[in-house]
Amino acid sequence: MSAVLAPSPTNLEAPAGDEHIGKWASFVASPSLRLTGRRLLQAIPVLWGVTFLTYLFLNLLPGDAASQLLGANATPAEVHQLEIKLHLNEPFLTRYWHWFTGVLSGNLGASLANGQSVSSILGQRLPVTFELVVVSVVVTMLIAVPMATLAARKPRGIFDRVTTILSMGGISIAQFVFALLLVLLFSDIWNVLPALGWTPLSQSIGQNARYLVLPVMTIAIPLAMFVARLLRADLIEQMDSQEYIVTARAKGLSRWAQLTRHALRNSMLGIVTIFGLQVALLFGLTVIVEEIFGLPGVGQALLTAVNDRDAPLLEGIVLVLAGIVVLVNLLIDVTYGVLDPRIRHGRSSV
Amino acid sequence: MVDGLQLDGAAGAPRGGTMTAARDGRGGGGPLLEVTDLHVRFRQRGRQVFAVNGLTYKIAASSTLAIIGESGSGKTVASRAIMGLLPVTAEVTGSVRYAGRELVGAKERDLRRLRTNDIAMVFQNPERSLNPTMRIGPQIAEAIRLHMDLGRKAAHERTVDLLRRVRLPSPERRYFEYPHQLSGGMRQRVMIALALSCQPKVLIADEATTALDVTTQAQIMDLLLELQAELGMALILISHDMGLAASYTEEVIVMYAGRAVEHAATKELFSNVRMPYTRALLDAIPRVDAPSHTVLPMIEGRPPDLSIRLPGCSFAPRCPDVQDDCRQAIPTLTELEDGHEFACFHPCGGGNG
Amino acid sequence: MAVLPSDPIAAGQLGALIPPPMARRRRASWVRSLDVYIPGGFLLLLVLACFVWPVVYPVPQPVGGSILDASLGIGAPGHLLGTDTVGNDILARLLYGGRVSFEVAAATQVVGGVVGTMIGIVSTYLGGIAEAVVMRLLDVLLAIPAFILALTLLEGLGQGELNIIWALSIFFIPAFARLARAATLSLKEQTFVVAAHLTGTKRWRSIMRHIVPNVAPGLLTFALLNAGVAIIIEATLSFFGYGIPPPGPSWGNMIADGQQVMSTQPRLILVPSILLLVTVIALNTLGDGLRARWGVQ
Repeated sequence: MSAVLAPSPTNLEAPAGDEHIGKWASFVASPSLRLTGRRLLQAIPVLWGVTFLTYLFLNLLPGDAASQLLGANATPAEVHQLEIKLHLNEPFLTRYWHWFTGVLSGNLGASLANGQSVSSILGQRLPVTFELVVVSVVVTMLIAVPMATLAARKPRGIFDRVTTILSMGGISIAQFVFALLLVLLFSDIWNVLPALGWTPLSQSIGQNARYLVLPVMTIAIPLAMFVARLLRADLIEQMDSQEYIVTARAKGLSRWAQLTRHALRNSMLGIVTIFGLQVALLFGLTVIVEEIFGLPGVGQALLTAVNDRDAPLLEGIVLVLAGIVVLVNLLIDVTYGVLDPRIRHGRSSV
Repeated sequence: MVDGLQLDGAAGAPRGGTMTAARDGRGGGGPLLEVTDLHVRFRQRGRQVFAVNGLTYKIAASSTLAIIGESGSGKTVASRAIMGLLPVTAEVTGSVRYAGRELVGAKERDLRRLRTNDIAMVFQNPERSLNPTMRIGPQIAEAIRLHMDLGRKAAHERTVDLLRRVRLPSPERRYFEYPHQLSGGMRQRVMIALALSCQPKVLIADEATTALDVTTQAQIMDLLLELQAELGMALILISHDMGLAASYTEEVIVMYAGRAVEHAATKELFSNVRMPYTRALLDAIPRVDAPSHTVLPMIEGRPPDLSIRLPGCSFAPRCPDVQDDCRQAIPTLTELEDGHEFACFHPCGGGNG
Repeated sequence: MAVLPSDPIAAGQLGALIPPPMARRRRASWVRSLDVYIPGGFLLLLVLACFVWPVVYPVPQPVGGSILDASLGIGAPGHLLGTDTVGNDILARLLYGGRVSFEVAAATQVVGGVVGTMIGIVSTYLGGIAEAVVMRLLDVLLAIPAFILALTLLEGLGQGELNIIWALSIFFIPAFARLARAATLSLKEQTFVVAAHLTGTKRWRSIMRHIVPNVAPGLLTFALLNAGVAIIIEATLSFFGYGIPPPGPSWGNMIADGQQVMSTQPRLILVPSILLLVTVIALNTLGDGLRARWGVQ
């Protein structure tokens, strides 16, 4: 938690020493900690709900996993054997209870396809997906923030109009089409980047980066357009209507300084929330991107599991991804409290 | 706090540039700020609003002027026009001369150098005029570093001195606090410290005490006056409060519908009201010595619609003394008596006022 | 003491010198409405083309083309836009694929919108435990990424247009419910709703009479933006082979087929891709335009 506390943007100017201890003490006793506690309690039923719902989806729906696994020419006896082994002949709730207690003790079961434990598959593949997501989010911000700020500097100027058009394209394009376009340009025509494959970060940073460029572009560019659109609107709204911007003008700050030093700071809170809402979308996108570019991440494993009707693996992946979504949103709620001084100090805002 | 901070000493030389010549140059001689026939109109979606319609006044260094009017009388718009703070939808014509320099139509670059450095403003709502996500100290230090050749540390020190000067308790600690941690009065002190940060020659206080309770109001006004006298600033007090004008300023302009309708030295104005609108404003103030349950006189009719330009006096529709000629021609603000200007064809009688 | 202005040319007189309010050339209202008419008109034409054209002016079947007719160019006899690598008519596949897109978009928004809105309004209006339970349930649904939820559901339900509609409808429910909830919360305390309650209007009646009409414009524009998302997800699912089973007509399937011959016959991938993009842009622009016009949010 202290890691969350530290990067308060304005802390730089605070004197060191007992001032910080005082802040820490006031944080512990502050409403934001209670808020965090309440959010944590709310997250528990949601996480449980995710386990139940995914299990429900995969088990109440038609489909005969055992005979599917054994192939067409399996004898009924063999099918029966496997059903017992996989507890498929027991009632739904019993099976769910079995699986759920396993999950609680950290055992997600084993893949039906190759018997490997679901946790070890996730352990291999999550780092790839994480790298993809984190780099994509960073690149998204690197594109969106300057773009929105430049657009807001001169509303209805040329740059603003171009941004508006690009944003509309960015939020409207299907990611798989955009991926194909990138492959067509960078691999087929210019032949500068690989269209398929992966080298882990631990083996070669340069190779890893090369394989990461197109997947990251596929996610980051449309997402950046989406973020830039919202950020631009928020910035312009602030510039037009907020009195602290008038104060900033009265100080003699240029419009650019008003934007970067005052408006942007207030918009960042909103941007953090947007990312909270987009985490789920991001994981959905990793499935598409990993499949198209052949990255050995969780998304690719998910598609394989769907193809193999590999229920334990599928359940494990959906559960872990949904769990991450819930946790990230929890973290964002907490960060929000730290970023917004009004919440941090437990006073109602304007 | 003990020995009134020497703002000049701490400041060092102001940053060079064309505007700085004005700082020392005039002051003593002619008017420091001269507003002549200022017009402001807004255009929105084909609709026009005539917010200020020919405002003229002058103010010398070290003097005080009150601009009084109801909300919508154009007093705020007029003061923001001086600093070029109006939105782009505003069309400003006329002339504003500060120390001999024309500000209307001046380049944004030049105006920026002037803001806070030469002409500063204290706004009505300190709650919303300070950035809620930024500590108060840096919000002041930012202005100092912009206009003065001071390092980070010196700016910090000057800010703390300023906060002390406006009598914010424990300024070293408050420097690091956020606006919401301060009371309304303290926030307004911060706004004043910000306005004074670069030692402006003109300070415009736009309803600076309206959002505060009465006790705090008096404290803030006393502080403003004290600093005004000490630093030799010209103070323009914008308010709807006749009492405030009467007790704190030397000269009063009454505005109605974007025009000055009466203008005189404070004593003269309040002892010899000539414009029926001013009369009506004064009558609407509750009096302590009146018997209880006395019905307060009201100004009949509605505040003026600024999108319509009347051929005659804009107060005519509400005026108790209205006559035919009031509706046909606009009375000009004229010095009809010694040191007393008013815009009315049929002024109320002199005498008791 | 400040210098008193002695200039007689004061207020008023010079005011008359300002040019009178110019008859500002106001843009005709139809020009300002172009952001609604252009995308709206385009979508209308496209929907008509997809659903009416094949009826009134026969086009070839979208599947089962002869391999002998494969890879014909634009303007080939009987094949206006040519044929794909297995000899199916491209125009027919575009139109029938468009039908799938619009059917999925409309059906998911109607099902998700009606169910989600009702859940949002009723639970918020009731408050208490019902509200808390429903909100947590929606949190659960929102935690599962849309594309993954759709994939997982389709894995169980099996492929096909109807199943895509069910899977996507479930995904859109929470978004509608949350929006309806936010709108209801602000309306719930407003005078006319409280007044209706105080005068003894039945709950259900006051929901239908007062709340639904007030949240409707927001929900409608929201549905337009969502329709674009639904079309994209359907195309994506089909592209990966989990949606409309190939060779069934769907823009996603056409793009997947075209991908094989991307460098030799780029037309096969470009035409459906551009149509997909333009359709979604039209939906988003129309949603934005209506939102601005109705002053939503």
